[in-house]
Formats: sequence, C-alpha cells, structure tokens
Amino acid sequence: MIGTFFKTLLNFQKMKNLFLVIVFAFVSFVANAQIKNANLQASGLTCSMCSNSIFKSLKKITFVESVESDVENSSFQITFKMNENVDLDALQKAVANAGFSVANLTFVLNTNQVVVEDNTVIEIDGKSFYFINNKGKILNGEVELKLLDKAFISPKEYKKVKNKLYVDSGKRVFNVSI
Amino acid sequence: MKGTILFICLLLAANSKAQELFVYTEPASSIPAYLLSARLMSSFFKEIDGSGTNINFIPEIRYGISSKLMLQTQAFISTRNGNLYADGGSVYTQYKFLNNDAVKRHFRMAAFGRASYNRADIHQEEIETVGHNAGYEFGLISTQLLHKVAISSMLSYERALNNGTEYEFPNTQVNSAANYTLSFGKLMLPKKYTGYKQTNFNLMCEFLGQRLNGNGKSYLDIAPAIQFIIRSRARVDIGYRRQLYSTMQRSAPNGFLIRFEYNFYNVFRKS
Repeated sequence: MIGTFFKTLLNFQKMKNLFLVIVFAFVSFVANAQIKNANLQASGLTCSMCSNSIFKSLKKITFVESVESDVENSSFQITFKMNENVDLDALQKAVANAGFSVANLTFVLNTNQVVVEDNTVIEIDGKSFYFINNKGKILNGEVELKLLDKAFISPKEYKKVKNKLYVDSGKRVFNVSI
Repeated sequence: MKGTILFICLLLAANSKAQELFVYTEPASSIPAYLLSARLMSSFFKEIDGSGTNINFIPEIRYGISSKLMLQTQAFISTRNGNLYADGGSVYTQYKFLNNDAVKRHFRMAAFGRASYNRADIHQEEIETVGHNAGYEFGLISTQLLHKVAISSMLSYERALNNGTEYEFPNTQVNSAANYTLSFGKLMLPKKYTGYKQTNFNLMCEFLGQRLNGNGKSYLDIAPAIQFIIRSRARVDIGYRRQLYSTMQRSAPNGFLIRFEYNFYNVFRKS
C-alpha cells in the first residue's frame, strides 16, 4: 500500500518535470521571436539635462538591456534583454515620468510568414497587432514597425490616423504601420 | 549699467535656442518623477542704508512625486544679525496641469503654492516669503519653449503674516501683493550636442515685479544670470539682480546669488 503510494508520488514528480520541460520549451520558443530593439524620439525638450532624465528613466526598466541616446535629436536607441517580455507601454510611461512625450516609436519585430489582412487583429507572439495601410503584405524575418497609438505619435499625426485605429477596450491592440 | 543689462536681455530674447532652467523663477515644467534634487543658494545683497551686506543661505531639497507634482522644502539662514541664524523655512508644491509637447517645443502651465515660516525682523515694505516674511503665495506659471526662444511668465498672490511670535506685521504696511515675472533663456554652448558629458553654458534674463495690493506701490527688477550644466546632472547658477525702479521701501534690492544643484535619479522608485 505504502509502496504504491510512493510509486504514484514518484510518477507525479516525473510528470511534473516533464510538464516543466514542455513549458520551458514553449516559453523559449515564444521568447525567441520577440521585439529586439526600438527607436524612440521624445518631444518637449532641447536640453541635455532633460534628455538625461529620459535616459535614466528608460535605463531603469527591467527588460531594457541598453540605451544609446542622440541628445541633439532627442532620440534613443533601446535594446531589449533576450527572452524577456517587452512592454512597449512601459517605454512611454518612462518618458512621461521624466516629464516629456513620445513623438515617434519604431521597433523591430521577428516575424514568420505573417499575412497582414484587412480589418483583422493579428496575434504575433502573444501580442495583438492591427496593421494600418499595409493590407495584403506577407511579413517574414525582422520587420520594423511604427506604433500609431495616441501616446506614441504627435497630436498632429494622431488627428490624421485617428479614424483608422482599432480600439478594443478589453485588450491591448497595438496599431502599427510598416 | 541698467541700460547695458537691458540691452543684453533684449538680445537674448531676440535670437537662439532657449533654456528654461531659470535662476530666479520656476518654469511650468516640473522636475521628473523620482528625481531628488539638492540645492544650495547663497545670496549677497547690499544693504541700501550702507550697513553692509545681507547674506542668505537657502539649502533646498526637491522631489518629483510624479511627472506633474513636485514637492520642495527650503531652509532660510541669514547673517542679518551678525552670526548665522536660522530664520525659518518653507514648503512649496507645483502641479503641472497642461502639457503640449512637440519635437523641441512645448507649452506648459502649472499652479504652485508656498507656505513659509520666518522669525526674522520685518524691515521693508517689499513682501518676500522666500527668506524674509512668514506667509504664503500661490499662482500660475506658463512656459513656452520654441526651438529658438523660451519665454516663461508667472503671476501670483503673496500674503505676509506675522514673523514668529516676536515680530508682528506692521499695521502701517500692506500685507499682500501681486507678483509678476517674465523670463528668457538661451543656450550658448555647446553649439551641437554630442553627449551628456558636455558642459552646457546658458544665459538667462528675467524681469521680476511686485505691486502691493492696498497702496499700489511697486517695483521692477532685472536679473541676468549665467548657468553651467555639468555632466547633465549638476548645475551652477550665478545671477545678479538689480532694481529698475521702486516706489516702495526695500532694504537690499541689489545683489548677487550663486546656486549649486545636484540631481539624483530614480530615488524611491519601485522598479
């Protein structure tokens, strides 16, 4: 009786290990195809002290590997850590915390035969994307995308694309263009 | 002398890139969230009656609670009575309620309030809750940064109370005033940014005015300043404030100030 109990327990332990192996394999598969880097231009500043406060704020983000800044153009080249989930909204928040706005954000995404269709939200690696003005294209490999959501472009630009954006109150859908 | 300063100020306003880290006033832009800024200001104002120099030290700590809300606390130390003497202190808060950003430009508006304690003797008609009078002040600031010119303006109401328990506010004087300022700034160096280690050299010029509410007495000062930003995190200000005109009695309107500032980023920040 006790022997059977231990056997079951041992089997359970084996199954748990197997389950963990599968989970890890899945996670690393997802993580490999992720956002590699981003280029962000901030607005509302000219001085290097202002730029430095954005730089410090971006560097503090846990999934950010490195930040290179171009002070003259208020822009930042951000490289993300491998195998970590990249939260694009956290970049905007970091800039806002420093007291400034995002004027432009482009990021490089790994894709594998993604067909961009009309009026469709496409799931890529657990993130939802809605492509604007790029219908019928097939994406493969590293693709640079521009984020078109309100907090990531200038108010002027937002006015132009406002009516084309996909809005879902339930989940985060990234409006992008190629 | 006044003419020369005025001319330099107008030149500043006319042309070039602007900086809004003003020396005598605050811009509407708040400091970044989680920024802790330590400052020490020393001012040297010549007493108008020839009795010497009025030296004040104002150590200051400021912190960005959010990108919109800033808190600041100051201590007022003076040598008016010979030795170093702690006259009082103040708490100041500023809230940015409007923020329109574009690349290399912005328009921002903020509301601010200050409450001050002071126990020094009251020796002039001018009301100054930074270092001289106990009291309070609240007002509005607007700052416009255009690629080449930054202009900032402040309007406030300031009210003086009794200084400590010993010095009542004289009932022969007016205890409230309206303040108004207009500031310009210019980045002189570097011509082109290549990194954070470059020392920035800025020129500022500010106009500072006050009008007493009861009797309409007023003054207007001009305050040019130079500023060095070191490694994009420390700052040295050297300013000279001079009275253009005054119809009120002021004990020491003309003088210099020097200020050091050092910034610590991501303080008390949950990652």
